[in-house]
Amino acid sequence: MQWVGALLFICTTTWIGFEWSNRLANRPKHIRQVKNALQILEAEMMYSQLPLQDAFHTIKNQTPFPIHAFFDRLYKNMNQESKDFGIVWQNSLDELMDISCLGNNEKEILLQFGQTLGQHDFLQQQKHIQLAASHLDRELEDASEQYQKYGKMTKSLGVLCGLFIVLLLL
Amino acid sequence: MEEIIRLFPEGIQHELNSRIGNRWDQLQEIRLRLNRPLELIFHTKQEWLNQALPNKLDFVHIINQLSEYSLYRMEEELREGYMTIEGGHRVGLAGKVNTLNGAVKAIQFITFLNIRIAKEKIGVATKIMPYLYHQGYLNTLIVGAPQTGKTTLIRDIARIISTGWKNVPAKKVGVIDERSEIAASIKGVPQHDLGLRTDVMDACPKAEGMMMMIRSMSPEILIVDEIGGKKDVDALLEALNAGVVVVCSVHGQTLEELKKRPTIQALINQRIFHRYLILDSTLSLGRFRGIHDAEGKRMS
Repeated sequence: MQWVGALLFICTTTWIGFEWSNRLANRPKHIRQVKNALQILEAEMMYSQLPLQDAFHTIKNQTPFPIHAFFDRLYKNMNQESKDFGIVWQNSLDELMDISCLGNNEKEILLQFGQTLGQHDFLQQQKHIQLAASHLDRELEDASEQYQKYGKMTKSLGVLCGLFIVLLLL
Repeated sequence: MEEIIRLFPEGIQHELNSRIGNRWDQLQEIRLRLNRPLELIFHTKQEWLNQALPNKLDFVHIINQLSEYSLYRMEEELREGYMTIEGGHRVGLAGKVNTLNGAVKAIQFITFLNIRIAKEKIGVATKIMPYLYHQGYLNTLIVGAPQTGKTTLIRDIARIISTGWKNVPAKKVGVIDERSEIAASIKGVPQHDLGLRTDVMDACPKAEGMMMMIRSMSPEILIVDEIGGKKDVDALLEALNAGVVVVCSVHGQTLEELKKRPTIQALINQRIFHRYLILDSTLSLGRFRGIHDAEGKRMS
C-alpha cells in the first residue's frame, strides 16, 4: 500500500514539474503569437484601413489558440453597443491571462497598448504598435532565457523532489 | 433616430430623449461644445439643454462611436471637417487644427460638434417634373441660397428620373456626390433612396467625376450638386457635348444675380440650360419662387 502511495506521489510531483516546464516553454511561444497578431493588426490598419472590429475578425481567423480566443472575444463583445472599449479590452485580456502562459509584464504591456488603440491617426497608431512590439521583444528575450535556464531543470526537479520526499517518509 | 441617439453617452441620451420627445421630425441640428450646454435647433426655434454639459470624456465617447473606435480611418474626415453617418446624417467637426506645410492635415482636438439631421423628403419634386420634361429631359439649373433645399430637391429629382413617372420610362442616372450630401453614401452604399437606375460616384471631385461617370457608366442624365468653379463648368460643357442631360444646382438668390458671375454667365448666355428653378428661403422647404425657361422667361 505504501508503495502505491509513494508511486502516486512521485507521479504527481513529476506532473507538476512537467507542467511548470511546459509553462516556461509556452510563454515565449505565446509572446511570439501576440507579436504576430500585432503585425497583422498593423497591416489591417495601414493597408486595408479596416475598422478595429473587422481587423479583429481577420486576426482571429489567422491566429492559433489562445490568441484566437482573445480576438474572438474582442470581436464579439464590441458588438454589444455603447460599452467602453477599454473595458472590453481589459476583460478579454483577463480571460487571455487565464488560458495562456503570458506573464504579468505582458499583461501590462497589452493593457497600455489597449488604451491607445483607435484613438490616434495612422502614424501615431503605428508607433504605438511598434512600441508594444518592442516591449514584447524584450519580454520574449527574457522568457526564452528563462526557458533555457530552467526548462529542463524543472522537469527533473519534479521527479527528484518526489523521490526525495518519498525517501524521507519511508 | 436610433442612429443619432446611440452616439451619445447614456446620461446625455436620457436628457435628449426626454427633451426632444416626439419632435424628432422638426429637429435640424444638435450642437455640442465642450463644457457648454447642448444646443438643439428646431425648424422654428432654438433650445438649450442646460442639464447636459458634455465634458472631455463625453466627446471621446462620441468620437469613438463615430469612428467605430478606429480614429486612424478618419484621416480624410478629420481633414475635411465633416463625416457622414448611417442614415445620411452629417457630423461637422471643429477644434484645434494641425497643419502640414500650410495645408490642413487634421483636426486634432475635437471640441465642437454639429450633428445635422438629414431629411429625406420623398416626393418634393413630383410637382415640378412636368416642367423638366419636354420630349426628353431638359438641362436644368436649380438656384437657391443655403438651406433652401437644393440638395433635397436634386435628390428627389434623381429618384424620380431613375424610377420613372407617369408615362415617362426610367432613365439611367449618374450622380456625382462630391460632398456626400445627395446620396449620403457610407463605403459607397447610398443611405438615401435614389431610385432604381441610379449610379453614384461618392466623394469624387465634380469635374473629374462627370467625365469618369460618362466614360464608365454611360448615364443618360447626370446629377451634380453645387457647381461653381471654372473646372466644373468646363466639365459640364463637355458632358453636354457628349449628349448627356445635366441637372445641377448652384448657390444664388436670383437669375439676375447669377448672370453677374462670370463662369455661370457663360452658361446662361449660351442657353445651355433649358430650365431654371429658383428656390426661396422664405418659403418652406422645396417651394419655388419661379421656374424659368432658357430665355429666362418665367413659366410658373
